[in-house]
Amino acid sequence: MKGVAISFREVTKSFDEKLVLDRVSLDVSPGEVLVLLGRSGCGKTTLLRLVNRLVDADAGGVYVGGREVGDWDPVALRRGIGYAIQGVGLLPHLSVGDNVCLVPRLLGWNPERRRERASEMLRLVGLDPREHGDRRPDQLSGGQRQRVGVARALAADPQALLMDEPFGAVDPIGRRSLQEEFRALSRELGKTVLFVTHDVTEAFRLADRIAVVADGGIRQVGTPHEISDAPADALVRGLIEGAA
Amino acid sequence: MSFLEFLAGRWSEILGLTLEHVVLVVISTVAGVLIAVPLGLAITRIPALGRPVLGFAGVIQTVPSLALFGLLIPLPLIGGIGSRTAIIALVLYALLPILRNTVTGVRQVDPAILDAANGMGMTDWQRLTLVEVPLALPSIFSGIRIATVVGVGLVTIAAAVGAGGLGSLIFRGLAMLDSRLLFAGAIPSAILALLADGGLAMLEARLVASRGAPTS
Ligand SMILES: Nc1ncnc2c1ncn2[C@@H]1O[C@H](COP(=O)(O)OP(=O)(O)OP(=O)(O)O)[C@@H](O)[C@H]1O
Ligand SMILES: [Mg+2]
Repeated sequence: MKGVAISFREVTKSFDEKLVLDRVSLDVSPGEVLVLLGRSGCGKTTLLRLVNRLVDADAGGVYVGGREVGDWDPVALRRGIGYAIQGVGLLPHLSVGDNVCLVPRLLGWNPERRRERASEMLRLVGLDPREHGDRRPDQLSGGQRQRVGVARALAADPQALLMDEPFGAVDPIGRRSLQEEFRALSRELGKTVLFVTHDVTEAFRLADRIAVVADGGIRQVGTPHEISDAPADALVRGLIEGAA
Repeated sequence: MSFLEFLAGRWSEILGLTLEHVVLVVISTVAGVLIAVPLGLAITRIPALGRPVLGFAGVIQTVPSLALFGLLIPLPLIGGIGSRTAIIALVLYALLPILRNTVTGVRQVDPAILDAANGMGMTDWQRLTLVEVPLALPSIFSGIRIATVVGVGLVTIAAAVGAGGLGSLIFRGLAMLDSRLLFAGAIPSAILALLADGGLAMLEARLVASRGAPTS
């Protein structure tokens, strides 16, 4: 399925009196890969979770496909959006293959189609379906589990993807190849992707555009070129030069 | 006459009473499961139910069993002498361990796992049946094990209200001051309790292993 637009309009969110997002506005075009880059605790995960309504905004609006998320049935909304969770969140009592095809199962795909899809997705993220598919998540390494989390997010061919530091636990070489794979795939399928990372190199490698998040707001949005050529302020410059 | 000869002479009677005993335990435990598991799951969805239901089951637990059997006898419909009264009391006793383990089993599921289930687009019912119940199963099962083992002991006392089972030998032994009769009831009943505990523990271990449920 082709991507949908995602927009944030003046979104404000606090947790326990602590202001995390302060009137944030951001537009993600259909088919675009937008990377949220920022330090730990700046609100990147919160931004993602506003999109599939795991978090509700205090004020302002979040729109998916032009429709306010509050008007969506949350269950339908979530099934239509792939979500690779920071910390992975695989179901420990299900096999790797069943984890991958969880959303297809909820959508009522038949078992045979699910099995095929699980194999396809596992190969895509560099795992061997025959070797890994029947294992339990706790029989995989951290990096392998993360790959399964990515496969699960992709399995139902969603229109939009929320990827929360999906390659953080993968070794550098594996990460590099996953990034390339992911870049090619998201371009080819034209999905809308919100991708969270605090790895500047990863951001520059994957992004159509980067949004730098800090202090409850978005400091700068632009293509990787725009941001490296003309950082908006000292904080943005510090962030990207820190990586160089 | 030695104790063994005494047993050999009453072999078929003891066997029959053991069977009766097992049947009483099975009926009351199964009924307890059928009531307490759904009720426990309902409590996880409607927290307001928790206090009154767990409170009621807890109070029953504090009533000495002989007194509870005695209390039920004069009640119309459910009371009277016989196995029906006994089964009702036994079911009441089975409720608390199963209820409590069902509720805590579900509540102990890692919030991160529930968050993932929600994030994938599960309905509340799907989350319950596909995630929470499977992950709570070891805990629910150990509640059932406790109820069963306790039930084996309680059934011996239920003989006081005419329920039958191995307890009738014990009570007869007490009344006739015949320790052989007493042991002929007490020993098989102790063995039954050990067998139930061991057997269910084995089943439980197999269940945990096959489902890969987390130990935490
Ligand atoms: N459910 C919650 N309850 C209370 N505080 C929360 C909750 N979720 C997030 N926060 C707080 O909101 C702030 C932003 O959290 P968020 O998870 O969005 O950060 P992040 O940018 O994803 O950080 P990281 O890079 O470490 O993952 C943090 O200060 C965090 O402690
Ligand atoms: Mg985060």
